[in-house]
Amino acid sequence: MSLIFALAAATLFGTGAFLLLDRDLVRVVLGVVLVSQSAVLTLIASGLTRGAAPIYPLTGRAVSDPLSQAMALTAIVIGLAVTALLLVLVLRVVHAFRSRELDELAEEEAERDARLERQEAREHDDEEAAAR
Amino acid sequence: MIALSVSLVVPWAAGIVLVLLDGQRRLVGWLAVAALAANLAGLVVLAASVLPGGAVEATTGDWPAGVGITLRADALGVLFALLSSVALLAATVHEVLDGVRERVFPGLAVLLAAGLTGVFLTGDLFNFYVFFELSMTAAYILATYGGTRRELGAALVFTTVNLLGTFLFLLSVAGVYHVTGTLDMAAIGERMRGVEASAGILIAIGFFVAFSVKLGLFPFHFWLPTVYTGARPAVAAILSGGLANIGGYGMLRFGAELLPNQLELAATALIVVGCASILYGGLLAVSRRSASEMLAYSAIGQVGYVLVAIGVGGPVGFGAAILYTIVNALNKTLLFLTAHMRGALVGAGFALGALSVAGLPPVAGFVGKLELFRAAAHSPALIALLFLGSALSFVYAFQIYQYDFWRGERTGPRSAWPQQAVVAALALLVLAAGVWPEPLLALSHDAARVLTGDAR
Repeated sequence: MSLIFALAAATLFGTGAFLLLDRDLVRVVLGVVLVSQSAVLTLIASGLTRGAAPIYPLTGRAVSDPLSQAMALTAIVIGLAVTALLLVLVLRVVHAFRSRELDELAEEEAERDARLERQEAREHDDEEAAAR
Repeated sequence: MIALSVSLVVPWAAGIVLVLLDGQRRLVGWLAVAALAANLAGLVVLAASVLPGGAVEATTGDWPAGVGITLRADALGVLFALLSSVALLAATVHEVLDGVRERVFPGLAVLLAAGLTGVFLTGDLFNFYVFFELSMTAAYILATYGGTRRELGAALVFTTVNLLGTFLFLLSVAGVYHVTGTLDMAAIGERMRGVEASAGILIAIGFFVAFSVKLGLFPFHFWLPTVYTGARPAVAAILSGGLANIGGYGMLRFGAELLPNQLELAATALIVVGCASILYGGLLAVSRRSASEMLAYSAIGQVGYVLVAIGVGGPVGFGAAILYTIVNALNKTLLFLTAHMRGALVGAGFALGALSVAGLPPVAGFVGKLELFRAAAHSPALIALLFLGSALSFVYAFQIYQYDFWRGERTGPRSAWPQQAVVAALALLVLAAGVWPEPLLALSHDAARVLTGDAR
């Protein structure tokens, strides 16, 4: 059973990590969602006992570990909240850049750096000219 | 007990109300400052009872001990909570004086204070994750503050990378629960001793990566320069002076207290990573011409010192790591706040901050470096490396001081006096901690005793 959980969590994490590396921002969000699901699955799998649902009154049979389920539930809620936040952030970025490709964001950053560098080089030349 | 609840509940409740109000109005901004001040006051009262009397514990909801979630304030936690609270308060006052530009800023700063206080004062591993995520969520939105393309792009990188970090943390939490069967941080430390070596190492690596991402250590630093230079000065000060403390605290608490065997095993690796971070941050900072870029790379270098001290370990090493984290957070808050300001007090404040980054007397950085040298005294190679790192930081800090204040490359109107006063107050704090270092030294040694297990 643990092995199945481990394989499923590993697959989810791997797929999520692969999507995170994508250029499309929506795919990046999906990657984060999959990684969060992998963490939730691991939390469920970390339960110490397995059995019936832990609902009072207990019938004397073995019950599953309620603590790991409480943790998983909290993690799902937090995951939902941060996914919503991330989607809003992507929406704002798309509005601001009119693009959802990471490359174009990076291009703009590179352009800004190049502009700064050119400016610095010019100042440096001016300084040298003044010194001469 | 009352001080513990007050310092946690006041910013929490106030934050929720404040995010609903329009933060661009002056009154709301000052209400946020009042809430942060109440948080700080509560923490000072708490520290006054924790430092002489030992840890204060409370179980939420009056559950019996061992069932309910515990809040636990010991010397280490209180010290970090105080530090973050001071940084947040200074940055928020600075921004409110400047005029808040987006309605959510004051409320989020207060919620971030609630999250950070919770992280440092919790005794429960899963609760640590919840508060961790609460503070990170506030920080994700703060990173977009300003709302131009630059901030949004930086915030997107920040959010994605740090979400990955927190989920790695959660995976390690699941691992700890599975092998120890408890979430109580005091009990985990004891039960981890009997755990299989391979499981322990996997868990430790998960925590290490999660906190390294937060700190911006060398191989995990790639998000940091974009964010710290893209964000507004107050936000950069909050992120580097307040939020980054989670990384330092986590390394100390999880490494030294929860996973001491794994820490011992990885000591050399930590020192190597720390040294790489010092050299990388220092060399890149030297090549920068603008204050905020220099500070961003300097932040990568400075956390390297903390990691080296943790790697050295023992009471002296942990004491040095705690002291240096405190000094570094104060330096970074001060220097990031001065990044776009002009004026006589700003220049003086920047000079004091630069001295502190370089580790020269008479400011706090000197005491921090002295403790580091004391921790590394057994190894000449390490001393030489630390010295090289300090020399680099001297060069990059004063190079920028020269450009910006002597040659007058920094243009724009002179900053208003109240804002300059905030910078001056922080600079005086850094100076006072250097001139009269005994209280800070005693505090960090007390906190280190919590970690080595012979606390009072």
